[in-house]
Amino acid sequence: MRKIISGNEAIAIGAYRANASFASGYPGTPSSEILEYTKTFEDIKVQWASNEKSAFEQALGSSIAGRRSFVTMKHVGLNVAADSLMSSSYTGVNAGFVVVVADDPGMHSSQNEQDTRLFAKFAQVPILEPSDAKEAMGFMQYAFSLSEEYDTPVILRSTTRVSHTQELVYFDMHKLGGMEDKLLAKNISKYVLVPKNALLRHKKLLERNTKLQKLTNEIPLNKMEQGSLNVGIITSGVSYLYAKELLPEANFLKIGLSWPFPIDLAKEFAKNFEKVIVIEELEPYIEEQLKIADIKNVEGKKFFPQDGEFNLDIVEEGLAKASVLEKRHKKYFEVPKNLPLRPPVLCPGCPHRPIFDILHSLRVYVTGDIGCYTLGAAAPLSSIHTTVCMGASISMGYGIAKASQNHKIVSVIGDSTFLHTGIQPLIDAYVNNVAYTVIILDNSITAMTGGQPDAVSGFNIKNEPAPKVDLENLVRSIGIKRVFKVDQYDYKKTKEIIEQEVNTKELSVIIATRPCVLAPIKIKEMPYFVIVDKCIDCKRCLRIGCPAIGYKENKAYIIEDLCTGCGLCAEVCPTLAIVKGESNE
Amino acid sequence: MNKSIIFCGVGGDGIITASNICAVALMRANFDVKKSEVHGMSQRGGSVNAFLVYGKKVYSFLPAKGSLNYMFASEKLEALRNVDYLNPDSKLLVNDRIVPIVGANIDEAQIEESLKSYSLDLKLINFNDLAKQHNMQKAINTIMLGYFSKIIEIDKKYFIRAISDNLSPKLIDINIEAFEIGFNLQ
Ligand code: SF4
Ligand code: SF4
Repeated sequence: MRKIISGNEAIAIGAYRANASFASGYPGTPSSEILEYTKTFEDIKVQWASNEKSAFEQALGSSIAGRRSFVTMKHVGLNVAADSLMSSSYTGVNAGFVVVVADDPGMHSSQNEQDTRLFAKFAQVPILEPSDAKEAMGFMQYAFSLSEEYDTPVILRSTTRVSHTQELVYFDMHKLGGMEDKLLAKNISKYVLVPKNALLRHKKLLERNTKLQKLTNEIPLNKMEQGSLNVGIITSGVSYLYAKELLPEANFLKIGLSWPFPIDLAKEFAKNFEKVIVIEELEPYIEEQLKIADIKNVEGKKFFPQDGEFNLDIVEEGLAKASVLEKRHKKYFEVPKNLPLRPPVLCPGCPHRPIFDILHSLRVYVTGDIGCYTLGAAAPLSSIHTTVCMGASISMGYGIAKASQNHKIVSVIGDSTFLHTGIQPLIDAYVNNVAYTVIILDNSITAMTGGQPDAVSGFNIKNEPAPKVDLENLVRSIGIKRVFKVDQYDYKKTKEIIEQEVNTKELSVIIATRPCVLAPIKIKEMPYFVIVDKCIDCKRCLRIGCPAIGYKENKAYIIEDLCTGCGLCAEVCPTLAIVKGESNE
Repeated sequence: MNKSIIFCGVGGDGIITASNICAVALMRANFDVKKSEVHGMSQRGGSVNAFLVYGKKVYSFLPAKGSLNYMFASEKLEALRNVDYLNPDSKLLVNDRIVPIVGANIDEAQIEESLKSYSLDLKLINFNDLAKQHNMQKAINTIMLGYFSKIIEIDKKYFIRAISDNLSPKLIDINIEAFEIGFNLQ
């Protein structure tokens, strides 16, 4: 078959060809589409989990049951599953088990830029780094057999550029041979990590490392490419493609299996050149391996940045600094300065907007979390004061409420994030009598990553009806008394309740219940318009930051085809200048 | 020599679909193709762009600054935001409209003047108006693609097939019709 596919699609196809039969994950850009593609294969049981740790252990369990299994997440998701990773490295696997982690250099949609290769080294599990979609497919297939042969979890590291890039690939959809299911493994000394067993498993792990060390120096995934220039480049991932584009005549050592690092191979490669250049995104991982091994003629981060995503210009610049390339690409134009930025914004009609407008007007301190609603931190709503990681809104709100008695603290968290890691700190807040207000922004979907269902959606990844968790019952069952449900489109009532709760010295939970305007269905009601004569140019409606509201000639106006008819602007307009219906102008 | 295209616009306005159709058309025309885009926050009304590189054999997904051959922009401000990828020989097709930005005042006349000052091969056409005339507001980008296929000199039959490959059955006919409107535009 000849088809243009993305890296994420390629990973799913690779898993299918390798006879994977179970997959779980938690959505996170840039990894989310892997399971979305995987769900199209009937032979693979696929589902979303509440968080990455749960997903990881589900897949590990399925591997122990004898089925090839994998789990997907983004780089920060691996932090949540780190506990499981570190120990599964000891237990090993039964059938092949692959951990697909997508890094986000450049932070297109993340809170940090951590480099998963360091996790692989830390946990001592092999990590594969494909450069493009074609390799992603092959590496994924290989990851399963590597996992089985060496009895270890294997990490497949993608990056945004690999996951979301599409390219022309030739492939077929036949499953590969020789990968039958296994029996459920019963082996207490292997899978029960009490100290006595774990000590032995640690020794096994070290033996495994010795074998892997040999493999990594021989495996074709780590390969030398001979060129005519007297320049040696060691590189991995997408950096390889940029370097190859710029200096096709150079000699390359392309690293595909980066832990354990092929140090003998690198030594053999490096001795042929006066100067060896390492090109790698984010951490100087390869460079450090080389320097620890006392290979003297290498440099990397001296020429290339340790932050941000690489591109041709950055790599060209670095190679020029290393004096192996004269800059060829010329920059002709500059983007005009002070061009207004176009930052992402909450959608027209987004049910989070009224809540942020209320919080803004009440001047409370708000701890935020990871999701669409993080956009509430942007002007003009400007009403989120912290965002750190999944679940942190409730725990940090707790800490702040404890430390600063006099401030009114509100934590906002989405339904998916609440179920991910928000519920535990809420339990802590309850049993420790911490008084503050938690608002669960329940739009019944994981919206930021493109609308994946979660445990309150009522349907699953395959769009089939599914049981759903009732958030109100869940919260009440903790023992919390002050639990309120509000319809945030009913602005006045919602404001009343929030105001009442931030002024009550008790723990309270407010569940704001309106579905996302984009998923699973696009909501579009009759639009609103501004009666020009009634508009007094107070700009109150502009302060809610709805992208459907514009402003010209001292009057507000509404862009009809963007407006979803939520009515928030009409609620806040002091002169009732905004009304439902189409303008007759 | 490889060639490259940037597709740029505002999150949610169909830039990604347009670039997908173009990528498949180029594949059908027997080129090696690589395409790169960024998802995530940009889907929430932020700036979006996708790069397409095609030729005999393509390595890098991304073109270098100053090296782009063509631009397909669904909005003027976003076209301007990416001029550093262009050179004096680049050819541009820009939809003659501005999408407002929350909290910013945009001087439309200045944006336009600025865009023209690069003395590029610039086609500035209001495709929204054109689409409205034909009652095809949902296929604005496809009309643009019809016109664009002439700029990049790729036979329209490849685009017609790409539209059939990429869109759901009930959208194919209308989009082919939209493509023809753009193609026949002088
Ligand atoms: S809030 Fe009402 S009066 Fe004030 S600018 Fe907006 S439309 Fe005009
Ligand atoms: S009703 Fe007002 S706030 Fe709601 S989407 Fe329309 S313009 Fe925006």
